[in-house]
Amino acid sequence: MSETVTPESDVAPLRKRFLDNPRPALLWLVGALALLVLELGRILGWVKALGTGVKFAVMTTAALPKWVGGNVESAVADTGVLPGRLEPVGELLGSGVVTVLVFGFVVSVFLSLSERRVTRLLRPNMPSYRRLTVERALLTGILTVVSALMVLTPIGGLVESMIGFLTAVLDNISNQAPTLTSREIIPNQGYRSPDGSGWEGTFLGLSPGQSWGVRVAVVYAYAFGWLVWLWRGYNVFREQYRAADWTPRDDTLDRFSGHLWGLFGLVVVFSFVVLALWAPAISTVPLEERSNEPYRFEHQFLDDEDIEGNPLTDGSGDLETVRHGQANLYSVSKGKGQNVGLFSYDDFDRFSPLGTTPSGGDMMTQLAHGARTSLIIALTGLGLATLIALVMALLTAYYKGLVDLLTVVTSDTIVSIPLFLLVMMLSVIFSGSDHPLVTPLDGGLLLAMVFAFAFWPGLWRAIRGPTLQIAEEDWIDAAKSYGQTPSKIMRKHMAPYVVSYTMIYASLLVGSTIIVTAALSFLGLGISEPTPEWGRLISSGQDYITTDSWHVSTVSGIMIVFVVTGFNALGDGIRDAIDPESDIGDGDAAAAGGGG
Amino acid sequence: MSQQIGTERGSTDALVQVRNLKTYYDEGGLFGGQPVRAVDGVTFNIQEGETLGLVGESGCGKSTLGRTLLQLEDATGGEILYDGEDITSYEQDELLSWRRNAQMVFQDPESSLNERMTVGEIVREPLDVHEWKTDGERRQRVQSLLETVGLQREHYYRYPHQFSGGQRQRISIARTLTLNPDFMVLDEPVSALDVSVQAEIINLLEELQAEFGLTYLFIAHDLSVVRHISDRVAVMYLGHIMEIGPTEELFADPSNPYTHALLSAIPLPDPGQERDRITLQGTPPNPRYPPNGCPFSTRCPARIRPSGYQDLDEGVWSQLNTVREVLRERQRADRTIRERIRGSLGWETRFGDMNDTITELFGEFEVPANVQEILDEVARRANENDEEAALTLLNDEFGSVCDGVDEDPEQSDSELQFYTVGSTDRKSYCHRHDSEYREPGPVIEDRSIKEHGE
Repeated sequence: MSETVTPESDVAPLRKRFLDNPRPALLWLVGALALLVLELGRILGWVKALGTGVKFAVMTTAALPKWVGGNVESAVADTGVLPGRLEPVGELLGSGVVTVLVFGFVVSVFLSLSERRVTRLLRPNMPSYRRLTVERALLTGILTVVSALMVLTPIGGLVESMIGFLTAVLDNISNQAPTLTSREIIPNQGYRSPDGSGWEGTFLGLSPGQSWGVRVAVVYAYAFGWLVWLWRGYNVFREQYRAADWTPRDDTLDRFSGHLWGLFGLVVVFSFVVLALWAPAISTVPLEERSNEPYRFEHQFLDDEDIEGNPLTDGSGDLETVRHGQANLYSVSKGKGQNVGLFSYDDFDRFSPLGTTPSGGDMMTQLAHGARTSLIIALTGLGLATLIALVMALLTAYYKGLVDLLTVVTSDTIVSIPLFLLVMMLSVIFSGSDHPLVTPLDGGLLLAMVFAFAFWPGLWRAIRGPTLQIAEEDWIDAAKSYGQTPSKIMRKHMAPYVVSYTMIYASLLVGSTIIVTAALSFLGLGISEPTPEWGRLISSGQDYITTDSWHVSTVSGIMIVFVVTGFNALGDGIRDAIDPESDIGDGDAAAAGGGG
Repeated sequence: MSQQIGTERGSTDALVQVRNLKTYYDEGGLFGGQPVRAVDGVTFNIQEGETLGLVGESGCGKSTLGRTLLQLEDATGGEILYDGEDITSYEQDELLSWRRNAQMVFQDPESSLNERMTVGEIVREPLDVHEWKTDGERRQRVQSLLETVGLQREHYYRYPHQFSGGQRQRISIARTLTLNPDFMVLDEPVSALDVSVQAEIINLLEELQAEFGLTYLFIAHDLSVVRHISDRVAVMYLGHIMEIGPTEELFADPSNPYTHALLSAIPLPDPGQERDRITLQGTPPNPRYPPNGCPFSTRCPARIRPSGYQDLDEGVWSQLNTVREVLRERQRADRTIRERIRGSLGWETRFGDMNDTITELFGEFEVPANVQEILDEVARRANENDEEAALTLLNDEFGSVCDGVDEDPEQSDSELQFYTVGSTDRKSYCHRHDSEYREPGPVIEDRSIKEHGE
């Protein structure tokens, strides 16, 4: 233990470290910007989609007070006291109370997350618990007044039109912005030129299949580029800017990089996520053209066959136009000679790398968009479930006692119902009553909510033990002894040790959600037309599994197996990487898998 | 209660005054039942600037006492006066600002530092909580504190993983110092460390005490460390303080029988030197069911015996104690319906036949006829599943003031209390200090001679 005193070895804060040596960071930033600009249009599109999701969540929350108010109103009307006078009061009271409660909750969460206290500037000596109470009340009041103003005065309309304007601007930019992987830059829908020299309208005159291949290659290369660049960015930070020369995370990464099974999982999951994110680019035909509204869109092809179907070799074929819907009728995969198999062209020179579906749609397009559906459901459902499980685990481990007991009872009640039955029951109830949650994704969002409800008890149970163990550590008592607040103790001193567990279990559950979604759709209960879904693909192809058109069910089935295995492998890898005592590369990695 | 010793010398400059403090666990649980009396009515003072050592075997409640003093546990009863104010009655905000004054060093340096945070984040957290000055000043303070405890400024950005046990304990000490506390609870701060490192940490603690004028409550079970660092020592047993007084006097001339027993367990540096080691029989009682009367009465080597049985053999006395423990255990054990039926059919239950137990216990001793008679009656009552009656009989015959039995109802102060012993301000919690009885020291000596022969 050296006792030397070296005051000049003080380490400067991050900002100063950056200003002293800005070159590596700026270089990395330029590269990242270049990557961003290449796909700006698509990335802005994602931002827009995310905005739509947030807007839906906000709107649903905003509708809460009105629902409750309406219920209170009808309840008051039922009592028959002072008919016509008391109902509006009841409605106002009901919606008002719920509004204040919602805002109070939002404000409490927000305040417990923020480090700074606003009122510290005004009254620095106010005791800290009272300050928190005052701030909660203050902010809730402000929010309530603002929202009342929005609803009751024209300000609300003004704000709405402003948001509309901003959205339109964003829309415009995202349509104009360059997108490397767009159909305009690498087109693959074309027709053979009548002179037989090649293809018209495709990328560099390549065949539709080749140009599609080029586009997919570009998509994966681009996504891989981001991966490499982010990793490089982390290394730049680690080598140039991070004050600590070693952190526990370094060891975790080291362990993961030597975990082959986990790396395999990472590759599969990465491919799956890219497939979902770039679904419109990886599809051979836009989904709405070929499947959703097939009679609105036309397709040009070279008709160089005579009436009997013999090819005309003299170059006298004509350019014809057909609607996708009509063409689909001739391109179905139903066995018995009606088949468009893997890597083949149909009669209208439309390329289908994975063949067509029994209704004449393109398998690749359906699979790519189906991946999107699965990913959204898995992320929303498991994200919510994980959040609930984590919060409950922290609360029950910290406070124990009655909270713990109630949660045990609740979770056991939910777990005691067979998962599949529970999911079926809930989706039938909600779809039957035409709940607003049913509309998005043709039932996909509802399914995500149902998954969140069904999966949180299991997740909570899985992490309850580790959380209780962490709650007994001395550093928790130390934090209490100098007066750290419970919410910060849970976040700073407990959560970091538990989050990793939830991630592992959640990644193992991704497989379950994909399988259950597919199974429900297979039964016709999950996600309905026209949102593409893998389970429905399997069910649509099951009659033709023994015929030429075996590819419909087989390909989508193999995809599910592959992706579920990939997520389980990734979960195993993360688990082994986080736990220093685990044996790397040991055969037991596969044993604990098995989501679903 | 006659435990009021609040009139101690110089209670004016006492930093911490503990008055009849009680901390019970599992109170009024879902199914009622007895609480665990971890700390059961403790009264003492800690003077400003002194080190009070707190010793006792594991499970005697010393850690709980330390944690209650810092309000990490809620006190069940009594009060803790800090600078004259009762902190057990503080509101949230008052408690938060009080917490600046009192900090704790934990036993296990592996567990007391959050390994996901850098040393800097760990040490500065108290400053963040109490919103002390600005960011830069907080960092400066933490770095200078790291130097104060013998680490380096650039250790700010290291992780606890990168340090040895002793260094981690230094980090832990630095964290307690950030808020400039006056009072520190040191909960076995060196018992998890290598012996060579222990001395370093002890020296560091002493230096810090001199530099910052700190007041320590030093909890330990290593008596030699306590003797080295403490000004005064309190000896704790089963939630009670048995003896408290200046270190040297207490170690040189213990008063309480429990202190005698505890000190006789210290190994002597000279193996040739003779000393009678007092071996306590049995284990400490379950704190959920403490004995009546003196907490140490079940194992005490100097227990007061009723006048009628003064000549009884030492071995018989110790077996009588065992009988009492067996009866208490039987009384607490739940009898299931199945066992009642088995018992009534004369089959063997896990409770067994009390006659057998007694024969087994007293087989090798010469038991006087009158004692045997009582034992037979005890066994009979116990076999009828009336342990309470058996215990009453046993206590009536062989019990004394130590068991809470009032031999002489005329005399009102049979309640156990603290007696001032020795030349300085020393208190001991034992009936033997009453003028009526002989002092514990000679009694223990006599009995051990009687038992082992000369």
